[in-house]
Amino acid sequence: MDRNQIKKWFKEPAKMANKYSLHAIYFCTGCGIIEVPPVITARWDAERFGVIPVATPRQANLFLITGYVSVKTLRAIIRTYEQMYEPKYTVGFGSCPINGGMYWDSYNTIKHLDKYIPIDGWIAGCMPRPEAIFIAVTHLWTLIDKGMANAYIKYRENYEFYRRNQEMALGKLEWPPLYPIQSDVRTVENG
Amino acid sequence: MVTKVIQIILSPVLALVIGVFFLGLARKIMARIHWRYGPPLIQPVIDMIRLFYQKSVSHGRMFDLGIILSLVGSVVVVLFMPFGKMCPLRSSGGLLVILYIMLLAPLGLAFSGGQGANPNISIGVSRKLILSLGYEVPLLLVLLAVMTHYKTISIAEVVDVQQSTGWSIISWPLFLSGISYLLILPAILGIRPFDISSAPQEISSGPMAEYGGKYLALATIEHAFVLFISIALFVNLFLGGAANPAIFFVKMLLVFVLGLCTNAVFPRFRIEQAIKYLWKWPTLLSFLGLIIALAVRS
Repeated sequence: MDRNQIKKWFKEPAKMANKYSLHAIYFCTGCGIIEVPPVITARWDAERFGVIPVATPRQANLFLITGYVSVKTLRAIIRTYEQMYEPKYTVGFGSCPINGGMYWDSYNTIKHLDKYIPIDGWIAGCMPRPEAIFIAVTHLWTLIDKGMANAYIKYRENYEFYRRNQEMALGKLEWPPLYPIQSDVRTVENG
Repeated sequence: MVTKVIQIILSPVLALVIGVFFLGLARKIMARIHWRYGPPLIQPVIDMIRLFYQKSVSHGRMFDLGIILSLVGSVVVVLFMPFGKMCPLRSSGGLLVILYIMLLAPLGLAFSGGQGANPNISIGVSRKLILSLGYEVPLLLVLLAVMTHYKTISIAEVVDVQQSTGWSIISWPLFLSGISYLLILPAILGIRPFDISSAPQEISSGPMAEYGGKYLALATIEHAFVLFISIALFVNLFLGGAANPAIFFVKMLLVFVLGLCTNAVFPRFRIEQAIKYLWKWPTLLSFLGLIIALAVRS
């Protein structure tokens, strides 16, 4: 740890602790998960930056969406994202979650992931090198420092938009909304 | 009286600091064995600060109370545990009390997990109970041998006798019992090859599956206490305790690093392999040890 950061630690402990303890959830969403084992093991040791994989969404605060997102995976991704505790950060890994990538005309994949869940940052490439994950982590540190890694707040504020998109892709969702939806309130007022 | 009050306040704090230091050291040493650089030594503290600031959802009243019960149980055991010459409640209780209250920690986690209503938690808790069934048979035999040999149930007296006569693990009547305790120590600590109850890859870290935010931080603190207690018990019973806390700490460190080396090189047992191992060699050795202790006594 850097010694001239000690003042920062006393000033903003929550922010600094969020920065240096990013626990990523084990969730194999696509082909990019192949790049993650070298990152967490001996070759590129991510643990020296405090990034380790954890087993459940409850313990995690970093969600790596690695590679293409099929419609079936999207359901699991949304449920996992909603189970994570705030503050939580999401990073889209590879070009497929950005705009569909090589699956741009597939009938079964999601083209723009940020329509369904909010994303803090992207790593472009097909596939990105494992080093790209470290670049993403350092960018995420900068964003957290400036208070710009606020995708989870966007999700809360625009939940209606996200929920509508999710229902368009998946049909009727079998889980209740995470936050109260304005249109629900309106129907209650009318009826 | 005043020193007693100070000791009662000080010893859990000391145990917590040492336990958290061990957690950090474990990650660093494991990383070095894997030829990695590893996280900073204070990484568990950073994680805990983050977890305390994170939002969390309670799954019910028992979910909150269970984790508090296990924490309280661990703190009480620490008060009965001699640390160097420091033992706040040395005149009361002894090994039997420690044995009883040590059960509170896993029990509290089981209660708490029951309210969590996650199937992974149920599997983890049942594995933990089966494993404790495995290691408690040799553990009880070992403690019986120690109590028979020294003709006392007070752990402070066991330490005092060893101060004058030497470590009990190198005295021949208790040698086998000491080896047996050393063999079951990984199971008590829950490290590999016995991390079946909290296997992250199989059952999503078992009893911890629903913990997040401050609950996970409290569970980490509890884990630190359990580390301290089980290593301190071994040091007190077999390595002769210590005259001052510094030497005691060094002895604990040696035992812990030995455990970490096992942790780093072994894969995980299946549950029936673990029981087979625990009920074979450690039980046999501790049984022989008990017979020897009885024979020497009469």
